[in-house]
Amino acid sequence: MSMTRRELTKLVTRLEAGVPLSPELYARTGNARILGITGPPGVGKSSLIDRLIDELRRQGKTVGVIVIDPTSPISGGALLGDRLRMQRHSDDDGVFIRSLATRHHHGGLTDATPQIIHALDAAGFDIVIVETVGTGQDEVEVAEVADTVVVVLMPELGDEIQRAKSGLMEIADVLVINKSDLMNAGAARQETRRPKQGQRWERPTLRTSAKTGDGITTLCHVADAHHAHLAASGQLAGRRERAARAEVIRLLQSRMTASILCALGASRPQTILSAVAKRKLDPYDAAQKLWVEILGSKNRSHKYVATNSR
Amino acid sequence: MKRPIKVLIAKAGLDGHERGALVVAMGLRDAGMEVVYTGIRNTPEQIVQAAIQEDVNAIGLSSLSGGHMAQFTRVMELLKKEKIKGVLVFAGGIIPDADVKKLKKLGIREIFGPGSSIASIAEFLKKNVRSK
Ligand SMILES: Nc1nc2c(ncn2[C@@H]2O[C@H](COP(=O)(O)OP(=O)(O)O)[C@@H](O)[C@H]2O)c(=O)[nH]1
Ligand SMILES: [Mg+2]
Repeated sequence: MSMTRRELTKLVTRLEAGVPLSPELYARTGNARILGITGPPGVGKSSLIDRLIDELRRQGKTVGVIVIDPTSPISGGALLGDRLRMQRHSDDDGVFIRSLATRHHHGGLTDATPQIIHALDAAGFDIVIVETVGTGQDEVEVAEVADTVVVVLMPELGDEIQRAKSGLMEIADVLVINKSDLMNAGAARQETRRPKQGQRWERPTLRTSAKTGDGITTLCHVADAHHAHLAASGQLAGRRERAARAEVIRLLQSRMTASILCALGASRPQTILSAVAKRKLDPYDAAQKLWVEILGSKNRSHKYVATNSR
Repeated sequence: MKRPIKVLIAKAGLDGHERGALVVAMGLRDAGMEVVYTGIRNTPEQIVQAAIQEDVNAIGLSSLSGGHMAQFTRVMELLKKEKIKGVLVFAGGIIPDADVKKLKKLGIREIFGPGSSIASIAEFLKKNVRSK
């Protein structure tokens, strides 16, 4: 590893505080495989990661793990309880686990997660695993950062329709039904669909038990197979491009938001805003006026975008 | 925005009582802190490595049975060996007065007995944690 753990942990703290990764470090990224684990709370995501670490370490791979829990909107605090399930790996040199609180970021990750993934990548970990918050069905951000997305469910969740509707299903490269030890024997014995070779990836459904360890080796194989498929079909480059694009767009958005909020502080924008409150001006016209004012008249064409989405 | 205080709450040793530590963890969350809770049966090595990887400001050690002296002493030794400075260590649980003195000498800043309120622990941390 090219960084000591102390250096790495301090780096992650700075990234979390919004300090960007250095260009030198960013240039050293792109080698790690990024595995996203998502799914509702309590299905066993953290317990599965604990088992995956075992398996990956047996293969001699080093593993960086980012686990995310929600910040309480009321207190601003967070109970970070994922590490508990994988704490036995804490004193393994080849494993680095970091818990993050969302700090009000929506979408399943945190503001700095992409940068922290880069840091673990630059530090030389073979695999970086990211566990999302797992509360909403719209938590699809993980698909922007991961090469392979594993969606975890459990038997009692039932209702196929509900599942199919969920936005989570659309991002799943691999579907895992965990807690197979709780299924009746018939269901548990059901054949696991193995991925077929070819241009199109047919999403496999696996049954695992983080409790007994059943299905973990298969899950590792399938994740490997998915990565090999991405590489062979040229889709890996596409995913990485999509990830880079999403990260830059997000940064642009936060800059735009900041500069808009700053510009709104001036007196003319304030007059426009209060005209809306007094019903002298409608919100769309106000936004158009401010848009032109803040960003210059070249952006006039944006009027039509705004009008269309009305 | 300043980062909230980040605390690791862990139980060392073999005793399996979890209640007190979990209540403290939830209480500190409600006081606005980011609390990494690592549950029961942590080895001192695991506690110290977790504290490093999580880059916490404070470590809360809990013990309800004997054995705390050996365990807590080892944690303090390891922190020293890893040259970790600026991480405040406090403890909670049923700890005899005679041991309290020894633990403070080891560098454990405060020991909260069974009657302590969460508010007093939160206040102590807010006052004494070196913010980064
Ligand atoms: N029976 C059974 N329980 C499990 C299994 N995996 C996890 N659990 C339990 O389910 C609970 C939630 O697990 P956790 O890994 O924290 O779930 P997460 O919220 O999805 O990360 C814990 O009590 C685990 O011990 C499994 O395969 N079988
Ligand atoms: Mg979890």
